[in-house]
Amino acid sequence: MFKAIEVLQPNFIQRPLNELWQLISPLYNMDEEKWLNELLPLAKPSEEELAIQTDAAATLIAEVRKDDDSMSMIDALLLEYSLDTKEGILLMCLAEALMRVPDKETADAFIKDRLSVADWASHAKNSDSFFVNASTWGLLLTGKIVTMSEKKDGTPANLVNRMVNRVSEPVIRKAMNQAMKIMGHQFVLGRSITEALSRGKSYRDKGYTYSFDMLGEAALTAEDADKYLRSYEQAVESVGKDTYSQKYRPTISIKLSALHPRYQVGCEERVMTELFASVKGLITKARALNVGITIDAEEADRLELSLHLFEKLFRDECTKGWGLFGLVVQAYSKRALPVLVWLAALSKEQGDRIPVRLVKGAYWDSEIKMCQQRGINGYPVYTRKESTDVSYLACAHFLLSEHTRANIFPQFASHNAHTIATISCLAKQLGATTEEFEFQRLHGMGDALYNRLIKDSDICVRIYAPVGSHKDLLPYLVRRLLENGANSSFVHRLIDASYPIAELINHPVTTLESRKSLANSHIALPSALFNDRKNSFGPNIEIESEWTPFKAKIAPFMGQDTQWRAFPIVGGEKVATGQTHSIASPYDHSQTAGQIDWADAATVTKAIDLAEAAFPAWSARPATERADCLDKMADLMEENYAELMALCHREAGKTIQDSIDEVREAVDFCRYYAQQARSHFANPTRYTDFLGQEKQAKLNGRGVFTCISPWNFPLAIFTGQVVAALVVGNTVVAKPAEQTSLIASRAVEMLHQAGVPTDVLHLLPGDGATVGAPLTSDKRIAGLAFTGSTGTAQLINRTLAARGVAPVPIIAETGGQNAMLVDSTSLPEQVVRDAVRSAFASAGQRCSALRVLFVQADIADRVIPMIKGAMAEQSVGLPYLHSTDVGPVIDKKAQKMLLDHIEYMKANAKLIAQTDLPDFAEKGTFVAPTAFEINSIDQLTDEKFGPILHVVRYKARDLDKIIDTINNSGFGLTMGVHSRNETTCARIASRARVGNLYINRDQVGAVVGVQPFGGQGLSGTGPKAGGPHYLQRFAIEQDL
Amino acid sequence: MTIVQPIQIQVAQKIFEAWDKLGVKGRADKLQQALYSFTNEQRKMAAWQIDNAKQSIADTRLMPGPTGERNELSNQGRGVFLCMSLIEGDNARVGLVGQVFAALIAGNPVITVGPTGQEIMDMISPFVAEGVIQNIAESAQDSLIEADHLAGIAVLCDPAQAQQLSQRLAAKSGLICQLIEETDTQHLSVIAKPHYILRFVTERTVSNNTTAIGGNATLLELGSMND
Repeated sequence: MFKAIEVLQPNFIQRPLNELWQLISPLYNMDEEKWLNELLPLAKPSEEELAIQTDAAATLIAEVRKDDDSMSMIDALLLEYSLDTKEGILLMCLAEALMRVPDKETADAFIKDRLSVADWASHAKNSDSFFVNASTWGLLLTGKIVTMSEKKDGTPANLVNRMVNRVSEPVIRKAMNQAMKIMGHQFVLGRSITEALSRGKSYRDKGYTYSFDMLGEAALTAEDADKYLRSYEQAVESVGKDTYSQKYRPTISIKLSALHPRYQVGCEERVMTELFASVKGLITKARALNVGITIDAEEADRLELSLHLFEKLFRDECTKGWGLFGLVVQAYSKRALPVLVWLAALSKEQGDRIPVRLVKGAYWDSEIKMCQQRGINGYPVYTRKESTDVSYLACAHFLLSEHTRANIFPQFASHNAHTIATISCLAKQLGATTEEFEFQRLHGMGDALYNRLIKDSDICVRIYAPVGSHKDLLPYLVRRLLENGANSSFVHRLIDASYPIAELINHPVTTLESRKSLANSHIALPSALFNDRKNSFGPNIEIESEWTPFKAKIAPFMGQDTQWRAFPIVGGEKVATGQTHSIASPYDHSQTAGQIDWADAATVTKAIDLAEAAFPAWSARPATERADCLDKMADLMEENYAELMALCHREAGKTIQDSIDEVREAVDFCRYYAQQARSHFANPTRYTDFLGQEKQAKLNGRGVFTCISPWNFPLAIFTGQVVAALVVGNTVVAKPAEQTSLIASRAVEMLHQAGVPTDVLHLLPGDGATVGAPLTSDKRIAGLAFTGSTGTAQLINRTLAARGVAPVPIIAETGGQNAMLVDSTSLPEQVVRDAVRSAFASAGQRCSALRVLFVQADIADRVIPMIKGAMAEQSVGLPYLHSTDVGPVIDKKAQKMLLDHIEYMKANAKLIAQTDLPDFAEKGTFVAPTAFEINSIDQLTDEKFGPILHVVRYKARDLDKIIDTINNSGFGLTMGVHSRNETTCARIASRARVGNLYINRDQVGAVVGVQPFGGQGLSGTGPKAGGPHYLQRFAIEQDL
Repeated sequence: MTIVQPIQIQVAQKIFEAWDKLGVKGRADKLQQALYSFTNEQRKMAAWQIDNAKQSIADTRLMPGPTGERNELSNQGRGVFLCMSLIEGDNARVGLVGQVFAALIAGNPVITVGPTGQEIMDMISPFVAEGVIQNIAESAQDSLIEADHLAGIAVLCDPAQAQQLSQRLAAKSGLICQLIEETDTQHLSVIAKPHYILRFVTERTVSNNTTAIGGNATLLELGSMND
């Protein structure tokens, strides 16, 4: 970690650029406490400076509040409909989705869903804004009509209401659409750049200038990226032709994710060539027309990639000597300061000034959520608002310093009066003139603040203005607004006259230093997400400082000179049976991952003998001791992360992220079951029996458990089954899938190392005939856990039942015919992203994978081409490469079954798309992701376990029939739902007979202890793996 | 209302969704009305099963996890259950009542067998919707056992009978039909245990991305929270 204060030394940026680059990535998830202690001195004013800054802020706020026109429409709307109220959120929900709903039926249902639950009356006449009151009265009226039209049970209350309902629905819909258009008008400066330039004239007359952005969703297809590129080109041309005479010309802001469908680290090569070419074209055009270009900042994962691209563009001939090519830096990022330092050095080296917009950052909550989900070791952003403010001021200090000003043109974007006042003071203090920096604000926000500022000084203020169709932009803008719109935001407080000025002018350094800790104790680190156990760790492969050293640890296990040699492990001994099998890598059958001896009949018998003999002692051990073994196992797996990942690649053909997720799930199973065992198995439970007698019952192991696991989660499911059986007190004979026994062998070695006695756990690799059959037919088997096909589960069940002994538990997790239901309120971009991931991630070889996508007919013509476009962007390839989205399927048998199905469907259904295969595909067992449109789920007979998606169009009114059809398939594993209508989601949730239902997200990747996983009907017996009832099924409940 | 046709499965399946949707509390309200008709021990057993279900499967459990998503775990009935006793005697009847109430309170429609089953059905059916509990003649028992879509059988029997039944159920195609056997008629050591009810339910997880439209108010509030 470098000394932050040193950046104020003029020679700091004279260090080699590469050396400065190295300062950036390590700060990605740096300990917040440590790093803030470094930053604070840069932001901390002297007492005298503090007094000046505080006075300036107080004066500015007081003057702004004096102004009768202080509130813009959006400010007023936000004040009235605070986003921490139900009404505020509902209004935004309507705004986000209503305009894109094409069919009246769904639109009416959506309006009813949103309006009938809010208390609009409480907002009537609260606001002085005509716009807000007009909206309120409209909402109140429509809300009342919608509410009165139904009884609680959903039936019309009376004839009059039914009539009102009938008559008013089109009126309500029209009124609401109109209201949304008005709102769109407020958020968006113009539907075209021409309109934006025209509407912006009044502000330019006041002295403002603009940065226009053709904002919208990220492009998922090449077609969308082309559309955005054309749009930006037109904007550049229009602004270039603009003849308004002004000192500060408008610029264009561009969002890189809109210009390339795969703007992500894994596709760096494409980004540095294809996206580079697109932006270079824009720059060339913009430079010719003297229109500045600024690259917007996006998610933290993309920061380093964006800087690589920026550097390449900046050094290109098209940009050299220009000085109007800039970018945005987010102050909430821990990496902000070193990024600015690196930019200053880059600028100095080339001699071209770089305009840098310093923002606070708009993705804060999604950054936190993503890190928690992925088990990242820390956060890339600060966890307190005031810490971001401190970082902002620290960065501003650097930017306004004399040696930086010569290289960077700072553009301070903020709506916080205190920040603006402080920066103005800081500029004076550091000798920066108003020619050497500018302020920026969002269209529709902070009008009063900047009207005052622009009146009092000749500083440039630039308005960042979204341009585009309301329908396209509103969803995006509302999401950005929601992410920034909590009532704690400064904008809200500033315009709320009841909020004391004194509380608005606290310096963030003072506020932060008054906290007990610099990091926010209310936001647990990802590792501490659970109160009772440690969360599993996952490296972030998008971040250089995280992924490079991790990759280096995996590398030694990836060479052909490294192979694994495994055997049956019985009583801790590796048994060489002579039945040796090679395991080829699914992506290249000429490569061998290792060799394994399969167990023979004698080995199986010996394993069961030993397991039976070991049961009394093991089951008598305290549950806490057994749980300790699981915790130790979890730690050992994390210690051997790299080797396990290499095994996932080489033996199972898993991609990098899939391999990380695999190890994490196995770790989570161990820690979760350990915790469950301590809670429920360590001590007897007291209960009163049906006759009123007090009793104590204890859950005990049953005996020898057979665990038969699949190849698709060769570590996670194998480990999950085995440790569940063990921790309860059973002994275990485990048969892993033939295809993936090497990793199972390593898991068993680690379990023994973790303290599980060698006579308690035995590994029996082999096929069904030699190993599976005796493990299910032996009379001593006291229970069985199985994950695999429904057919095999039935066969096992029959074998177990035929033994002539008392029935034993069989815990089977089997297949599914998983559907996703999408209605017309959903956001197509989210749907396509989630559907493609759900169907094709892991080459579709997940039990939970999406097989049948039901799309409401009204939006199918938009969604289906997007799926096609997104599939064209998928990369099928070598699983150990970051660029690969879809790896191979497990073996030739699986490949043939899938290819046969594809051929059948080509003759019997409409092909939507098929992703290209790589040249080397024939070396392994690859299946191209393929999508077909079919008429009904009935066209499918059984589960096709691979990357094949089927799409069905449905009419909105047939939703219940669709649910019935899905239920009638008999499978019930996972289902996805995409809808903004909560009533629809609830209706589907209450009717669908599935084990795991996912709303407005993808439907794969269940997390242990968070989303217990398992199906019903043909999809499994339950209880759910990773759930609170799983262990009990491995046990017998006995009175003491 | 003894119907000797496997059509009973269809009738039960039709009412299954509505019965299951009532939730434990809704079902308990109805089943409790039936208690007064049972003998003392049977009533105690039935009431105990209801109370046990209220404590262990009634609540939707909010699972811990990342911010911005809501994960709920709840229980549902598994489907149509055949409840029967192959053993005579008062204790077996108490056990059978326990099975029937456990199956019902968990959300499953139940089919009972023969005269004993008929008695139980007659005492419960006035308080529940038609089809929630039905009875068949013993002669129809085999066709029910063989029927598709039977989610499970709860039975009081001896160990040999349990083995036989287990084999018959395993021989069927389709879903793995649950066999919940009680072979300790004297102590009812399976039926009268707190975890017994779990055999009659299937769990469901609902994961909702609460930030799909953007904005995570809870997290934003935490980000601004004072110590």
